[in-house]
Amino acid sequence: MFFHISMEKNMQLHPRHFGPHLRDKLVAKLMKDVEGTCSGRHGFVVAITGVDDIGKGLIREGTGFVTFPVRYQCVVFRPFKGEILEAVVTMVNKMGFFAEAGPVQIFVSNHLIPDDMEFQTGDVPNYTTSDRSVRIQKDSEVRLKIIGTRVDATEIFCIGTIKDDFLGVINDPGAAA
Amino acid sequence: MKGSLKGGDDASVKGRHIKIDSDSDSEGFLEEKSRTSSKGSSVKGGGKIPSDSLKSGKKVSLDSLKSGGKASFNTPIGSGGKDYKTGKAGGKGSLPHAQAVKVPIVEVDLKLELDLPKDAKVLMDCEATEILEGIQDHLLVLSRDPEIKMPESFNKALQHSKYGSHYTDVQSVRQVLDTLKVNGVTDGEICMIGNILPESVDEVYALVPSLKDNRDNNEGPIKDVLSNLAKYRNPK
Repeated sequence: MFFHISMEKNMQLHPRHFGPHLRDKLVAKLMKDVEGTCSGRHGFVVAITGVDDIGKGLIREGTGFVTFPVRYQCVVFRPFKGEILEAVVTMVNKMGFFAEAGPVQIFVSNHLIPDDMEFQTGDVPNYTTSDRSVRIQKDSEVRLKIIGTRVDATEIFCIGTIKDDFLGVINDPGAAA
Repeated sequence: MKGSLKGGDDASVKGRHIKIDSDSDSEGFLEEKSRTSSKGSSVKGGGKIPSDSLKSGKKVSLDSLKSGGKASFNTPIGSGGKDYKTGKAGGKGSLPHAQAVKVPIVEVDLKLELDLPKDAKVLMDCEATEILEGIQDHLLVLSRDPEIKMPESFNKALQHSKYGSHYTDVQSVRQVLDTLKVNGVTDGEICMIGNILPESVDEVYALVPSLKDNRDNNEGPIKDVLSNLAKYRNPK
């Protein structure tokens, strides 16, 4: 799920950037430092939408660097338990399949795939129902439910399930072929 | 089976540190699941995991296992590495875990407001698409500056938000959905309804189970909202 939130960060700037474009430099550095990062509390910072306020700088003794408190608004993406997501399958193996929803990776274990779907090996590994009416393979779009999340420094990883009502394949690329 | 657990006697387990290892895929998450369930079911579910795992000679790491009232797993979720091993899960051994997975997953509530700052505004996918596309357009102007480059996650997020954009008129959709607020539907739930574009009331309750608690109050309004949302549906 996406959120729009206000955040604050202390930015350190080298004195060589001081001058009429100090604000631009600070914003460019903020974008470079913050966008694409991931924190357990906020999730993925997708994009900065605006800078609300840049406070007074404070010289750090001994280094000459100046610390500016910057308050900014950004769009973040964070999955949470119980959320329903539409994701694209990226890899299928006998243990289950991996899918991607935005920057987030989701693993669906074979225990969390309906019992009537069986793993089929081959050039395009897939999970197929016995009557072959439903198939999950690479690039399939699935609707899944998040049941657990793990966050580390640079990515969010989730465990999902499609073993529930109204969950499963939305769009099967193999059906058209 | 190891001697320390033989006979399945809870008393012998009490207060002891048991270390059973497992290479199952979703270990850390299973524990999280049983934590969300009621005390009674967590005892049931928690008890199953180690005994089954032992039989198959697998590894599960549990910090403590108390007998009686509750079995609690103190494994920190999100500590990384330890709980979550994908490396060597074998097809053969993972079978016994099917039972553990069957632990009833009690409906998970959306507790967004609790762990996000109060001023956080929940965005539906379609709203996020509008904002991100605006930034992307803006970026085309700035792209002459080689220092400004959007990370890969931006493109992925934009792509994902586009999947969830089912509507022709975002503002009207927001207005329609906001009418649910008076019925005690939270921002998170409203956002989920907007994103999944359910076709029936049953679908809403199946996918957003936290709404069931207040079904008497919100069933009527949700029906109205669904029929209104259908008007703005983007024909694909």
